[in-house]
Amino acid sequence: MTNSIEAVGEKLAEILTSYLKDNWSDSPSSNKTITAATNMVTELQLDSFQVMEFMLEVEDHYDIVIDLDSLSNIHTITDLAAVVIDHQD
Amino acid sequence: MPLLEKFSVAGQLKSGLGNVGKDPTSVVFDQLNSATEGVVEGRTTILAGTNNYLGLTFDPACIAAGVAAMQSQGTGTTGSRMANGSYAAHGALEAELADLYQCSNALVFSTGYAANLGVLTALLGKGDAVLLDSDAHASLYDGCGMSQADIYRFKHNDVKSLERRIKRLGDRSSRCLVVVEGMYSVLGDCAPLKEIVEITERYGARLLVDEAHSLGVFGERGCGVAEAEGVLDKVDFVVGTFSKSLGAMGGFCVSRHDVLGLFRYVSRPFMFTASPSPAVMATTREALKQLRSRPELKETLWSNARRLYSGLKELGFELGPEISPVIAVRCKDRESALAQWNQLLEAGIYVNMMLPPATPGGASFLRCSISAAHTPEQISTIIEKFAELKS
Repeated sequence: MTNSIEAVGEKLAEILTSYLKDNWSDSPSSNKTITAATNMVTELQLDSFQVMEFMLEVEDHYDIVIDLDSLSNIHTITDLAAVVIDHQD
Repeated sequence: MPLLEKFSVAGQLKSGLGNVGKDPTSVVFDQLNSATEGVVEGRTTILAGTNNYLGLTFDPACIAAGVAAMQSQGTGTTGSRMANGSYAAHGALEAELADLYQCSNALVFSTGYAANLGVLTALLGKGDAVLLDSDAHASLYDGCGMSQADIYRFKHNDVKSLERRIKRLGDRSSRCLVVVEGMYSVLGDCAPLKEIVEITERYGARLLVDEAHSLGVFGERGCGVAEAEGVLDKVDFVVGTFSKSLGAMGGFCVSRHDVLGLFRYVSRPFMFTASPSPAVMATTREALKQLRSRPELKETLWSNARRLYSGLKELGFELGPEISPVIAVRCKDRESALAQWNQLLEAGIYVNMMLPPATPGGASFLRCSISAAHTPEQISTIIEKFAELKS
């Protein structure tokens, strides 16, 4: 499995795009183009609940557990990719 | 950001609440006529959002017990039990709770919130892990956060999601506490406790169940969902509150583990808070007696809940998944929820407004909580006023 931050970021953008379409289709964010550089809070305007719900999908995809404390400094998809890689090690 | 500037977001949110009509967070009951009726802005109003499940707040015996305790022991305890001593009623209440739950240990806290903070911060520390249901109450999140344990969430009531995570913890599962509620306060749905107990035991973890909304509502003795599911003796720690079914204020923890007795020496929210007042302990003890001696209260509560649930369902409202004394009506969006809540209040019905992010799935709900004290006529009026929302 490719474990680079770019590859993980790309995959996370894909998971988030599909997650928003499936679960938050009413939100204007569900139609936005999401990339590794996207800021989840300022650009997508996800609230803390939505970010935590999305994390459950990420955990299941990578078969990891991420503690809530690790989420406090995550703003962009790239930030999240770094946390995912860290928890895979 | 300057210190006070961060409140601008909260200020905007608050002013948004009043755009449609009355702000749901600013309701004042000028007068209480009974457990289910009050006066708001001069209007007689049916109270359908009070968590007063057994309707005991105006019970004559509870009131008499509170008055007598205040007259004989004073208005307050004026300090913590560790520094200023316990009253005999503190110990008596703990013994009665232990007897109700048929376990050896009980500890009383000053509020339900303090009970969750006190128990979780005593149980957990750095290096421990907690697996928390994603829809758990804020007090459980806050207690876990204060404990400095690693917090992992699992999908609400999803035992597969729980098991996947507990498995990923590996050897750390023996240092893990699983935290769930008996009945959840927003949708009134219950935890699948049999399966949760089985998984928790299999991985050597411990289980805490918050029965705040289910005490007095579920189980033959009224202990909650764990009793109703036949797994009460498998739960490591049960926490709850006196402020709902028991119509008072305060919280508690009961456990089969003797370490609970040591929480008195390590739990800061227990040690550094004034203890429950004589009147609170007396009304709670009397309410516990009523709970045990009047099973008809629970029967009436459930009969009222079934009637309201089916009445609202027949009107075509989207409700929570299970019939329970908490009946949540899902609204299209935040604006329509605020408008409908205002319409109900103007029609003399008080329900709770539940808005995201404090709600499952980010949805907006009108939450009714039903009481054994609601009369059949009051239930009919609530249904009738909800019907008018559709017209």
